[in-house]
Amino acid sequence: MNDGEISIEGGGTTTAQENVPEGIVLNSHAQICLQQLLRVWLGFERDLSKVPLLRRIDLGTYTAEDHQIFLRNIRQQVIEGSRWIARTASSFDRDYSEIRSSIISHAVDEHRDYEMLEKDYVASGGQLEDILNMERNIGSEALHGFLMHRSSLPNPIDLLGAMWIIEGLGEKMANSWAERIQEITGLSEDSTRFMTYHGHNDSEHMQRFYAILDSVCIDEKAIKSIVKTSKVVARLYRLQLEEIEYDLK
Amino acid sequence: MTVYITSTGAFLPGPAIPVEQVENILGAVHGKPSSLRVQIQKANKIQTRHYAIDEQQQTTHSNTEMATTAAEQCLDRAFIHREKVGMLAVASTQGDLPAPGMASMVQAELELPEIEILTTHGICSSSIMALKAAWNSLRLEEHEAALVVSSELASRLLKKQRYEAATTSTFAAKRIDFSTEFLRWMLSDGAGALLLQNKPAPKGFSLRIDWIRGFSHAHALPTCMSVGSAGRPEDTRTWQDYDTYAEAEQDGALLLRQDVRLLDNLMRMGVDGYLRLVEEGVSKPSEVDHFLCHYSSHHFKNKILEMLDTAGAGIPEERWWTNLYSRGNTGAASLFIMLDEFLRTDEVSVKEGDRVLCFVPESGRFNTTYLQLTVVNG
Repeated sequence: MNDGEISIEGGGTTTAQENVPEGIVLNSHAQICLQQLLRVWLGFERDLSKVPLLRRIDLGTYTAEDHQIFLRNIRQQVIEGSRWIARTASSFDRDYSEIRSSIISHAVDEHRDYEMLEKDYVASGGQLEDILNMERNIGSEALHGFLMHRSSLPNPIDLLGAMWIIEGLGEKMANSWAERIQEITGLSEDSTRFMTYHGHNDSEHMQRFYAILDSVCIDEKAIKSIVKTSKVVARLYRLQLEEIEYDLK
Repeated sequence: MTVYITSTGAFLPGPAIPVEQVENILGAVHGKPSSLRVQIQKANKIQTRHYAIDEQQQTTHSNTEMATTAAEQCLDRAFIHREKVGMLAVASTQGDLPAPGMASMVQAELELPEIEILTTHGICSSSIMALKAAWNSLRLEEHEAALVVSSELASRLLKKQRYEAATTSTFAAKRIDFSTEFLRWMLSDGAGALLLQNKPAPKGFSLRIDWIRGFSHAHALPTCMSVGSAGRPEDTRTWQDYDTYAEAEQDGALLLRQDVRLLDNLMRMGVDGYLRLVEEGVSKPSEVDHFLCHYSSHHFKNKILEMLDTAGAGIPEERWWTNLYSRGNTGAASLFIMLDEFLRTDEVSVKEGDRVLCFVPESGRFNTTYLQLTVVNG
């Protein structure tokens, strides 16, 4: 958004009516689960404002160098992201074949996203070899470890909670951060393609998410496990952004 | 002790001003019409509003006078003698005097002898802070009746002279400074009053106060709406740190500011707080008959509200009611002015037993407040 627009204040062109999901009526457990997931997300999103690097986006002091630091630190997670999603798919047995198909197609969508991120890094003024040489930071290690562990367990429906947080963040990057970063850093669109790309097909992703939630979240136990995993992933994701490696190796 | 709102009053100064006349009242800065006015007014959809200043930007009613007039109307409609009022709580973003508290001034005008007073400081939610304190005071059985008044005179901050004097400010430096103009085309003046008693009124509707809750997120989020700083991230001075008040004014440290980029957080925290109340079993969306919201519904028409509906925690739009579009956004006074009209309007049918959920979010540093009332018939 730039100063001349009021999209935040409802001046945007889309209205609720235009975006309302068609025919989604969740079962009552899935509804409760979604209520709790919304709270986990809103708390996560609010607390991201406390992360020093990201607070600079809010305050308008984020620089092109900050953007390079950001990209260097999330690349590993993006690479590993496609691995845990693919492993999750393979951990579902035949009773969950619909979900398995859905997750496989999701993994296909995203498994080479990191290449886009590397191009953004170069467009922001960074050297390709610098980002290629980065290791996982402390938070990325924890997040990756947790996700690979959970995705290796049989029928890991709780990972819907992980998808909720990570997809939500993709949407936030596209709709709240990308333009703002261009505006305050003077960087071009070429530097935020990874962020903006995740805003595409957004409502389609939500439909897919709701459909899976409705089919697997059918009791208290499912609610608890999905919500707990969303909380762990939210915390570890924030840790990854707090444990930023500022220097090049 | 159960507490009831047994009477209400409101005061809106001067005639209703339509959108195209707003700039005649606030004045065109340096004689040039604002390039943002139409766009901002279109977005907030407010059709008419009231001002306590005239076309020469001279004050026609003080904030204390407006508060007193609303309070007098509230007391005139009540079934008790004013001597029974043991407490006066007054809320405003800025009283006529920075000190003493505005409650002292309103008490003097109302000539209420030897009562307990409270002035709450804040922005929109300061009225809910005052209401909660008065409610608690009655619950503790310290008083039989308490008067709660909220009044706002924002136009004094928004008149053209304020902007013309800010010669070294972000407003003067930019062709368009959204943060300093946004509220100029949003806020207006007015006052509302509620009488709280330990029993319902003998005739007509009273509103039983079921609960009042608030959640503030200042610990995590930056300041969004404020007066007192020049609005530059690197400059930590506030208005009293300048050598003279004149320098503070020149630098724009006395302009009312809204960081619109952060505003989205207000809806989000509003939804979070409501989901918390639902989770705790305090509020049941299906049992809400009327939803009175300080924000207009079109601000909420976004993804987060759709998700709330999908999660089965939304409140259908036909249960939303507001008079924001005709009375203006009067900040802290809005909800009380809304409650006053809600009980009298033909637009909604109110009946005994109806549950009324009220939501007053404050963008200042993200305080979200909620209350539930139940309609009782005396």
